[in-house]
Amino acid sequence: MIESRLPDFMTALPEIWLAGAAMLLLLIGVFRGNGGTRMVSWLAVVAIAVAFVMVAVSPAEREVTFAGMFVSDSFAKFAKELVLIGSAATIIMSLGYIRREGMERFEFPILILTATVGMMLMVSANDLIALYLGLELQSLSLYVLAAFKRDSLRSTEAGLKYFVLGALSSGMLLYGCSLIYGFTGTTNFDSLTTLFQGDAQAGIGLVFGIVFLIAGLAFKISAVPFHMWTPDVYEGATTPITAFFAAAPKVAAMSLFVRVLISPLVGVAAQWQQVIVAIAIASMLLGAFAAIRQTNIKRLMAYSSIGHMGFALVGLAAGTTDGAQSVMTYLAIYMVMNLGTFAAILAMKVKGEMVENVSDLSGLARTQPMLAFVLAVFMFSLAGIPPLAGFFAKFYVFKAAIDAGLFTLAIVGVLASVVGAFYYIRIIKVMYFDEPGDAFDLPVAGELRLVMTVTGLFTLLFVVFPTPILAWAQGAAAALIP
Amino acid sequence: MIYVLIVFLPALAAVLVGLLGRRLGDRASQLLTCLAVTASALLSLVVFFDIALGSGEPQRVQLLTWILSEELRVQWALYVDTLTAVMLVVVNVVSALVHWYSIGYMDHDPHKPRFMAYLSLFTFAMLMLVTADNLVQMFFGWEGVGLASYLLIGFWYEKPSANAAAIKAFVVNRVGDFGFALGIFGIFFVFGAVDFASIFQTAPNVAGKTWTFLGMQLDILTTLTMLLFVGAMGKSAQLFLHTWLPDAMEGPTPVSALIHAATMVTAGVFMVCRLSPVFEYAPDTLAVVTIIGASTAFFAATVGLVQNDIKRIVAYSTCSQLGYMFMAVGLSAYSAAMFHLFTHAFFKALLFLGSGAVIHALHDEQDIRRMGGLWSIMPLTGIMMWAGTLSLAGIPFFSGYYSKDLIVEVAFAGHGLVAQYAFWMALIGVFLTAFYSSRLMWMTFHGPARAEKSVMAHAHEPPLVMGIPLMILTLGAIAVGFFTHDYFTGHEMQEFWRESLLVLGDHDPIEAAHHAPLWFKFVPLGLAGAGIALSWYMYIRNPALPRRIAETNWPLYQFLLNKWYFDELYDLVFVRPARWLGRTLWKGGDGRIIDGFGPDGLAAMVGNLARRAGQAQTGYLYHYAFAMLIGIALIVTWFLVAG
Amino acid sequence: MIVQAIAFYLFAAIIIASAVMVIAARNPVHSVLFLILAFFNAAGLFVLVGAEFLAMIMVIVYVGAVAVLFLFVVMMLDINFVELRQGFLNYLPVGALIGLILMIELIFVLTAGTVTPVVPAATGAPIPAIGQVTNTEALGAVLYTRYIYLFQASGMILFVAMIGAIVLTLRSRDGVRRQDAGKQTGRTRAESVEVRKVAPGGGV
Repeated sequence: MIESRLPDFMTALPEIWLAGAAMLLLLIGVFRGNGGTRMVSWLAVVAIAVAFVMVAVSPAEREVTFAGMFVSDSFAKFAKELVLIGSAATIIMSLGYIRREGMERFEFPILILTATVGMMLMVSANDLIALYLGLELQSLSLYVLAAFKRDSLRSTEAGLKYFVLGALSSGMLLYGCSLIYGFTGTTNFDSLTTLFQGDAQAGIGLVFGIVFLIAGLAFKISAVPFHMWTPDVYEGATTPITAFFAAAPKVAAMSLFVRVLISPLVGVAAQWQQVIVAIAIASMLLGAFAAIRQTNIKRLMAYSSIGHMGFALVGLAAGTTDGAQSVMTYLAIYMVMNLGTFAAILAMKVKGEMVENVSDLSGLARTQPMLAFVLAVFMFSLAGIPPLAGFFAKFYVFKAAIDAGLFTLAIVGVLASVVGAFYYIRIIKVMYFDEPGDAFDLPVAGELRLVMTVTGLFTLLFVVFPTPILAWAQGAAAALIP
Repeated sequence: MIYVLIVFLPALAAVLVGLLGRRLGDRASQLLTCLAVTASALLSLVVFFDIALGSGEPQRVQLLTWILSEELRVQWALYVDTLTAVMLVVVNVVSALVHWYSIGYMDHDPHKPRFMAYLSLFTFAMLMLVTADNLVQMFFGWEGVGLASYLLIGFWYEKPSANAAAIKAFVVNRVGDFGFALGIFGIFFVFGAVDFASIFQTAPNVAGKTWTFLGMQLDILTTLTMLLFVGAMGKSAQLFLHTWLPDAMEGPTPVSALIHAATMVTAGVFMVCRLSPVFEYAPDTLAVVTIIGASTAFFAATVGLVQNDIKRIVAYSTCSQLGYMFMAVGLSAYSAAMFHLFTHAFFKALLFLGSGAVIHALHDEQDIRRMGGLWSIMPLTGIMMWAGTLSLAGIPFFSGYYSKDLIVEVAFAGHGLVAQYAFWMALIGVFLTAFYSSRLMWMTFHGPARAEKSVMAHAHEPPLVMGIPLMILTLGAIAVGFFTHDYFTGHEMQEFWRESLLVLGDHDPIEAAHHAPLWFKFVPLGLAGAGIALSWYMYIRNPALPRRIAETNWPLYQFLLNKWYFDELYDLVFVRPARWLGRTLWKGGDGRIIDGFGPDGLAAMVGNLARRAGQAQTGYLYHYAFAMLIGIALIVTWFLVAG
Repeated sequence: MIVQAIAFYLFAAIIIASAVMVIAARNPVHSVLFLILAFFNAAGLFVLVGAEFLAMIMVIVYVGAVAVLFLFVVMMLDINFVELRQGFLNYLPVGALIGLILMIELIFVLTAGTVTPVVPAATGAPIPAIGQVTNTEALGAVLYTRYIYLFQASGMILFVAMIGAIVLTLRSRDGVRRQDAGKQTGRTRAESVEVRKVAPGGGV
């Protein structure tokens, strides 16, 4: 009478593996002490690589398990692969940094692993409760990571702010979930999908629930007006963590956003579309304008990521499969550009100190031409200058928006990207045309060079080989609407 | 192939020397350009003998497709018939001689490669112009020569006056070019094509048709040809658009000889001749062309009487002779116009280059009041320049005689008021021309030496590299008319020109001119002789006389000396209002309105917004939480109100 | 039934009143005590709907652990709450306004909206009748089977919370004496006791 069958675990194998690996590595770390951090880090990278293989070989067909709460389809696969790449790159990039800054503790890679597990749960969520738990698992890890350098006032402040505001947003999210549950009687996405098929009209209460849900998710992707934590946290957190924040969690949260809105709620797109349009416009404009006066690179990158999430939302606002495809393409390109940019930022040191101000970059082109060139490529790409990858990312989202008839949105987006180009190109100007200041330390660590090379090549060559990414994203988007 | 070589050898030389001039060095640059243009000149002679004198058919060499857009089809093509062949010879021969001459003349200049590159660039553009088979390509060459002219007038860019002259030439030409461009648009609009073959084919069908513009019924072809003629006026420095030519003498003398005497300024004449199958159907335009040409011939001659700058005198004489050419064109005597263009190129280039030799010898002295007595020092130059002068004055058996006399006779034989006017103007012009050109010679070579002793001591005959081109030109000025008049305007005329010029059957002015009474042949000759004699009397025999005449007729003298006050008039009517308007628009319109709201205003707004967006980031948790709450409240409220 | 109704309104009224007092009380200790009162009444509500397991968990976890922890924190940390309230008062008008707007809107929604769509019952988990199994048994039966995913995910969250707490607060300070059982038992007589001859009248 009471159901007591065990569900199918194999569908969630990568997540289970990664969670187990995190615990195992924690044990190793505890026994080896902080001296084993490097080993734990590399083992974590290996664990992620194994998980990546598991994801990659898992079947592309849609599989649902755990009483319909967990789904594995090509959309989840795509997002998970991106997340895993982002996490692995972050761990690799942080190796040198955490040693230098005296924060070499083995919990660091472990927390990144748990955050990664959280993100994978998020993108595989097929139920509001699963969504919430995945989000919390990820967020909690991120709160700790933000405050990880506990002796630094700024870092702890960042962690605290992130935590408090995150709790507030979680509250909103939960409230939204409750309303949805209250007005529909289910938390399961599949049930919601069937519910909204046809010409279903969402009642006002349900719309409220959706709005609160969107607010909670918007916080995670730092869309305006739920972005306020971003600049402070980006600036306060240590640079590799900032890089992490800017890459994998954004991908995961945005994927979750796409899944929730396109898959179960696509039937009521007319209701949520206006909200997405509004926050997309606000994000793009704020990202463009507020960044202009920033002097701190990390803060600037924070506004940059706000703006970029606004652009990604443009694709989402289209509310179509094409839109979803453009968002996923955007995320892939965005993550690669950000990882590359942060690798370049991490590579710049003056007399052992990290470079944090834009003005410190002056004359980089003369002291380290290769580094300056790579950074210039990323800046041009972030600004959306053809033929670099960033241009195509923007191109596809705008195209999706125009195809959906959202002309105003597309026009505002283009204007915002013009304004935004100003501060990206200013960095290039500082690097190439200003008088050099103090010499930069050499040599750049091998791991960073690796990350920069791979991401730089991707950015440059996307124009030549766009098909794999596009086809991949298309498959992912197609999986959303059965 | 030969045609391509003719046109593109100078281009190649220009590009090479222009880009690599410093690497190549002065000597190599000079040789490269000179040899390229000389080769081009020799090939042109071959073409001339083949197509114009021989039996070669007109050639069309298709190079590339330029524009393909619906009806608009423009090709890059070289079209060579007799008309073009004549121009090829004129352009390339004079250009080659000027190139060589420049080696000597520009000996002390530090920017030789640049100069040579510009000269070759000009040659190329001029060749493109004369070989064009459609109006758009012609316009390309038209603008190309304009550009080269601008660059060369302003070659000594340290001199403010040279810069001003260059800009003036460019701007005045722009007025003409505007007309030309409008004419091309109109032709495309009416004919649906811009290549000559189609235009000529359709022109008879369009003749007499009218269109309505601003409520006026206008003859289509008259309108179009008037517009095209405005372009020709600008390029050929005809009255009202002539003001740039005298100022253009700020450029180096070889430039004046090449561009502002022999070739570019004749482009207008060439263009009208090329389009003779269209102009022939617009008699009203031809009348206007005649009047403008005759007036210019007279006007420029009067101004030339009192000028003291050796190059300006020659410049005004150029202006005047161009007037003769247009007069002939207007009277449908295209062959006469082309003939005069041909001979004029030789003797006018000779006069300019000779003046250049004098200027060179006297250390850049250009004022003829400080010359004189050079005959004993540089007799060879003197002889050569006398040859040019006599040719210009139309003394028999010199080249100028054949062409110029013919034009006067054409005017004499013409019917109607316009022809009458042209005839009288031409006659007076003959006298004035003889007077001022011989005045120049008397003042320069004869009489007492008025230059400073030290300068005179250093005066010398030009070096060989300058002398030989002069001699070749002298031969041309003396003999070329005698040998070619039969082909250009005589018995061989039909076989020579063939299809390249069109004169409608009912009036052949050349034929009429040949039937002028015998006694009339002596009238221009007498006037020319009188002019020379009078100037001898006034400047050699009785040097005080000119001053007395000037004082008794002071207002007239001032009027002429100030070139009929054209510059002042234009300054008052066009320049100042334009400058005022520009200033107002700049300060008020652009500065206050467009910059204020546009770039500056936007930039300020962006900065402002950026500051505010930054200020919102206070760092207080309260504020952040409130921002989120306010955000969600706004969205929810929006939904309640709107949804 | 009337008893139940009376009990419901009583509990509900007390919860709201004490929740207000949690915010309004000047003394933070009082705030926490009011919070405990609210928890107790919430547990009462759970009992009222037959969820006795939740009611007991409420009392044990929230009252017994969380609230008492709060109490300790409040009492042990020397925080000047009056100062904190300064800001609170500054922002009260704006906050109250937003709260009011949201509340009005929510009331509007809750009164206007009907619970529109009804999901097919099959998607929900079957709920056994109250009389047949106890709360505890029913929860236990699904917690490790149907909801094992959520259960384990929550476990992961707690795991991360634990790691986080340790990472952020645990410091190895010098000069802190710790008990080391191995060291204690491994001591020999030789290294701990020394026999000395003491000269009479000389001291050690």
